[in-house]
Amino acid sequence: MALDVTLETKTSASNVKIGIITLSGDLDASTAPTFKTEVEKAANEGAKRLVLKLSGLNYMASAGLRVLIFSKQKMGTDVDIYVVAPQEGVLDTLEKTGFIQGVILLEKDEPEKYEQ
Amino acid sequence: MESLTVPGNLDSLSAIAQYVMAAADAAGLDKKASYKLRLAVDEVTTNIIIHGYEENHLQGDVYMMADLDDSSLTITVEDTATAFDPFPKLSLEEEKIGLPMEQRPIGGLGVYLAIQGVDKFFYERVGDRNRNTFVVKRTTANAQ
Repeated sequence: MALDVTLETKTSASNVKIGIITLSGDLDASTAPTFKTEVEKAANEGAKRLVLKLSGLNYMASAGLRVLIFSKQKMGTDVDIYVVAPQEGVLDTLEKTGFIQGVILLEKDEPEKYEQ
Repeated sequence: MESLTVPGNLDSLSAIAQYVMAAADAAGLDKKASYKLRLAVDEVTTNIIIHGYEENHLQGDVYMMADLDDSSLTITVEDTATAFDPFPKLSLEEEKIGLPMEQRPIGGLGVYLAIQGVDKFFYERVGDRNRNTFVVKRTTANAQ
C-alpha cells in the first residue's frame, strides 16, 4: 500500500493560481508527508486555490486531515479547497469530523467550477 | 487467526492494515464496516507508534491478534510503551469538531474516529502492556 501524489499548477480565467493535487492509494501517517510536501510546493508557487482530486484515494486516516489544516495555515485561511470525487469512506470521515464544512465538495470532476 | 507482531514504527502501518482487512474479510464484514475498522485500528496504532514509542525514544513492537466467533470479530492491539489511556483525550477531540478548520490545532481526531468506527472499544493496562480492544458485530455488519 502506497500513496501516489502529483501536483499541477494552473492559472484560472480570473487570474488565480490553482494547485491541483491528484492523490491515489492510501493516505495514512506513513504516507502523509508526501502529500504535505506537494501542498508546500503549491503554496510556494503562490497557489490561492487548492483542488484535491480524490477519486483514486482508497483510504484516508486523520493524518490526511492534518494536512488540510496545514494547507489553510500555509496558503491563508481564505484559500478555497475543492475536494473532488472522494470515495465513500473518505467522504464519511470528512463529514464526521466537520471538515466537510471547510471545503467545497464536488461529487465529480467539473474543472469549470474551479478553473473560472 | 494467526497473530502479527511488527516493529513499532510507521512503516508497519501498511502490514497492520493488511492484517485488519484480512480479518474483516474472514469475518464477512461489508465494505463500510471493514473500512471503519481499518481506520479505527490504524488511528490507535499510529498514536501508539508516534506518542507511545517515538516521542519517548522507546523501541518496541506492536502485537496484533484477531479473534473470530459467531457473533463478532475482536481485534486486540498491544504495546509496551508508557501507559496511555485514550479515553481522556476523547473529550478534547470532540470539542474540536465544531471549530472551523483554520481554528483547529494540528492535533489528531484519531481517538474519536476509532471509537466511532467500531461497536465496542476499550483500553486496559495489563502488566507492562497497553491493550486496546476493538469489537465489531458480524450480525449487524450489513446494517447501516
